Amino acid sequence: MDGYNFAYLDEQTKRMIRRALLKGVAIPGYQVPFGGREMPMPYGWGTGGVQLTASILGAYDILKVIDQGADDTTNAVSIRHFFQRVAGVETTTATTAADVIQTRHRIPETPLRSGQILVFQVPIPEPLRFIEPSEQETRLMHALEEYGVMHVKLYEDIARYGHIATTYAYPVKVDGRYVMDPSPIPKFDNPKLDGNPALMLFGAGREKRLYAIPPYTRVESLDFEDHPFEVQSWEHTCALCGSDHSYLDEVITDDKGGRMFVCSDTDYCQTRRGEVA
Amino acid sequence: MDKAMTVKTETTRDLVWPGLADPAHDSQRLFRQILGALSEPGTLTTLALPAPPQVAPSDALGAALWGVVLTLCDLETRVWIAADLDSPALREALTFHTGARITDDPASADFALLTHESFDPQTPFAVGSDTYPDRGTTLLVAVERLENDSNGADDADHGWRLSGPGIAESRVLDIGDGAGCRALMTRLAGNRASFPQGLDAIFGCGAQLAAIPRSTCITRTDSQEMN
Repeated sequence: MDGYNFAYLDEQTKRMIRRALLKGVAIPGYQVPFGGREMPMPYGWGTGGVQLTASILGAYDILKVIDQGADDTTNAVSIRHFFQRVAGVETTTATTAADVIQTRHRIPETPLRSGQILVFQVPIPEPLRFIEPSEQETRLMHALEEYGVMHVKLYEDIARYGHIATTYAYPVKVDGRYVMDPSPIPKFDNPKLDGNPALMLFGAGREKRLYAIPPYTRVESLDFEDHPFEVQSWEHTCALCGSDHSYLDEVITDDKGGRMFVCSDTDYCQTRRGEVA
Repeated sequence: MDKAMTVKTETTRDLVWPGLADPAHDSQRLFRQILGALSEPGTLTTLALPAPPQVAPSDALGAALWGVVLTLCDLETRVWIAADLDSPALREALTFHTGARITDDPASADFALLTHESFDPQTPFAVGSDTYPDRGTTLLVAVERLENDSNGADDADHGWRLSGPGIAESRVLDIGDGAGCRALMTRLAGNRASFPQGLDAIFGCGAQLAAIPRSTCITRTDSQEMN
């Protein structure tokens, strides 16, 4: 750890991010600009999440990092090693044992508890960006609460496919005010955002924006009265633990069409198998 | 660190404005407590750090608010100080430990140090704009009483019921019942009407700390509507 400040970022940068985080918490769902730093990893690898984690992490925190629910995939392993090296913190794969969980595109299946902090890696923080490319315009749309266009986008899905076809990064409204991109989590995870006892922080490194959902905050997925929001359901159960209510990954097992479905949350799956065995 | 040592030798011990002994880890620990207080409005937390000198007016500031200043202020922030807290010693300590700029203009302040008595609803603190609501002043308010319902606050007389983000159902916070406290809470209750513009407040009473961000709904516990 020689040559680095604790948790890599210098204290001045951490203070700047911390002040922005407090404003983010005070205005749930609003994207606070912050002076994003260049991190020793490319954009798209979680530089936003890493900067938030570095700003909140303490020497006695236990850190868990997941990538699409898994503790053992490339992004999770490299970020976990990064913080082991620059902060010397203890790490875990157990959701229940972690104080801080950095995540790429999933919310753990195991319910989070009060006091835990979930840090999301966000590629594009602006939910209106694909509809309106101008930052000035989208900022004004948020200020005026002009969100009709988002409903038009969802309606176009219904007109074309007969149902809302957005399956991930499904837009939500936070505490009845800001429309927010929950990061590319499957919409299966959206209900977990609502009233969650854990603090949820979102960091976008390339776009230099952060936002937050405080614990016990009302988070609604956008929908229509006649097309209410619903999560995906499927007939399969996890081939390893048998769970019928977790989010599943499809794994190709051979070149003859063989496949299996397994829990995307590796800790949840392993815990269940341990309990069953 | 070296500079702090120099000051210690130059002044008598009870007049020393303490810095953070271990800047990286102490500020992280304090920040997490402040973050917790703002994410769950009305909860109480005790900041462990040495108190500022116990002479007026700095004794009113208390350890908790001094800890917030040391944790969050630096040369990029502007601090406004109310007249009843202001002293050359505080200005010197603030500049020395944080490098923060002290301003006379409340509208340009990132942080404002004040007491519940000196709160004046007419002071034009920054409340941000609709496009950049984050560009507002955070009030750091020294109060004489800080209790919530899990801590035996007598909510019948002068408590304030908080609800909204960070609060499962509702929580009662009691910051005292002086005219200043009422004016302050009335102003904070007005945040909901101007949301997302508004003032965020952090309260300190000695080493104890609580916060009310602008997202919180505030009503009197005797259920008079505030706005």
